[in-house]
Amino acid sequence: MSVANRSSAPAVTRRAQARLGIVLVIPVMIMVVVFFLIPMGNALYYSVVDFDGLNPNPPFVGAENFIRMFTDPRMWHALSNNFIWIVVGTAAPMIIGILVAMLLWSVQRGSVTYRLAFFLPYVLPGVAIGIVWGWIYDPVNGLLNEVLRAVGLGDLAKGWLGDPATALYAVLVTAIWAGTGFAIVIFLSALRNVDIDLVDAARIDGANSGERLWFIVLPQIMPVFLMVLTLTLVGGFSVFDIIFIMTGGGPAEATNVLGTYSYTNAFQLNNISYGTTLALLITVLSVPVAILLNRLQRRHSLQGTSV
Amino acid sequence: MTGLTEGAIRLTEHEGRPQRRTAGRSKAAGQVARHVVLIAMAIFTLVPVMLVISTTFKTPEDVRINPFGLFTSFSFQNIIDAWTVGRFSDYLFNSILLSVPSTLLVIAISTMAGYAFARLPFPGRTFLFYLVVLGLLVPFFTFMIPLYFQLRSIGLLDTLPGAILVLTSTGISFGTFFMRAFFAELPVEFEQSARVDGASEWQIFARVMLPLVGSGIGALTVFTFLANWNNFLVPLLYLPSGEFRPLTAGLYMFTGGRTLDVGPLAAGTLITILPVIVLFIVLQRQVTQGFISGAVKG
Repeated sequence: MSVANRSSAPAVTRRAQARLGIVLVIPVMIMVVVFFLIPMGNALYYSVVDFDGLNPNPPFVGAENFIRMFTDPRMWHALSNNFIWIVVGTAAPMIIGILVAMLLWSVQRGSVTYRLAFFLPYVLPGVAIGIVWGWIYDPVNGLLNEVLRAVGLGDLAKGWLGDPATALYAVLVTAIWAGTGFAIVIFLSALRNVDIDLVDAARIDGANSGERLWFIVLPQIMPVFLMVLTLTLVGGFSVFDIIFIMTGGGPAEATNVLGTYSYTNAFQLNNISYGTTLALLITVLSVPVAILLNRLQRRHSLQGTSV
Repeated sequence: MTGLTEGAIRLTEHEGRPQRRTAGRSKAAGQVARHVVLIAMAIFTLVPVMLVISTTFKTPEDVRINPFGLFTSFSFQNIIDAWTVGRFSDYLFNSILLSVPSTLLVIAISTMAGYAFARLPFPGRTFLFYLVVLGLLVPFFTFMIPLYFQLRSIGLLDTLPGAILVLTSTGISFGTFFMRAFFAELPVEFEQSARVDGASEWQIFARVMLPLVGSGIGALTVFTFLANWNNFLVPLLYLPSGEFRPLTAGLYMFTGGRTLDVGPLAAGTLITILPVIVLFIVLQRQVTQGFISGAVKG
């Protein structure tokens, strides 16, 4: 922020600035209070009462919703799915993203076209993505089964979203397909700042491409790497849309995560208080991770590595 | 292709130096292999989009027999069905009705707040900025349930203004954060000289500083419009009667019909993603730059 020398400004200017500043932030603050802070406060309130959506004075139940939550095997199952989602859904886009970005790094012709192709899924609406991938996974004549039959692996053909053993991973593949382009494009823009002479020097010294990536490139793009890590990790905790659209948490809760379990409780089973408590758990889990990774990222940036 | 010519040029350049020649040849081969991998990945990435286009333009009979075979027949029937029977013309109109005002609101609110947080010291500024940024960390569905009852109690549930305001609220945290970064980068000299010339603080903001962040506003506009266009949870939850149902929520409701309606469903999907794809290709620089700087400036 470039406010350091502002203190020398005359008092009249400072007052005028403060006045305009307050006026300019009034709209955003009204929006934040009405559409974020008040509902957040109500979420906390719902978690300590038993609200059915109708009763204006719901009875106070203390920690009951929380006790129920921590003794609920379905919650633990959903949470374990969240962890699978976070680990696979973070690692895969990061690894594929850095590898493809490295491939694209020295490509001159067509690099814009590739970038467009890879990034396109990221801007598509989740509903459309869910519908198309539903066709790809179709049990009868889905594209995936057709391909498997064509290469002689027809025995493996199945309803990928209908089988509890594969459903979660099928949705994960869709999410990875949709999200990797973001990692590719960001990594590629970070690679532009990498000192190419260092990479060439390492090549002459006999470092293979894996070593060059690990020892030379990765340290230089670390802040960006951590930033993408933060975004995908936090996105992993709060995953909801794509699972809700593709399976709704089924079959037999096989793809249930905290988000879909919370939604089912609140809007289908009318357990509004319990659904809200589950949603709060996600926030409590994800916010510290986000702050921690953000700190780490700041420290790397301050060391003057890149960006 | 470039790899090949590049390698060839290098070969002629280093004629008579055998060790260099093999290096050039293996480099060319490396370039070809690189393009093969990249093209394969690009095809894999684009197949789902191809599938939508292919199924949309099949004849209804062909959809019934062979719904997902690529480009086996041609007809506009599915588009016509989706547009008329499937009500996708209404949905398209509602999508515009929801996305355009909410995008304009996000831009106006975020630009003002971004400027204030970047360049106008006032009491409590840091604290208020943290409150705004907190909205970036907390997932929407943490408070979407209480928000439903809140909107119901103030009479905004199932109304166009209600949905527009909620859509706006989902974009302002990022928008403020994003615009603040743009304003913070501008040199102090501009506002100082304007102040010497007797400009008021408002004039400095509106006449001097605002025109300098045009690229930021452009990127944020595209980004926000796409996010609002693609949002399906807000209309699904807060417009339950379906009177103002946009494309995304319309598609979601349509999926209940299952396999029978694959043709019109594909057409509806195409109607939904076509504006996104066109916008993305035409304004690709703004889109990718918006995403990148939005992420990196953090």
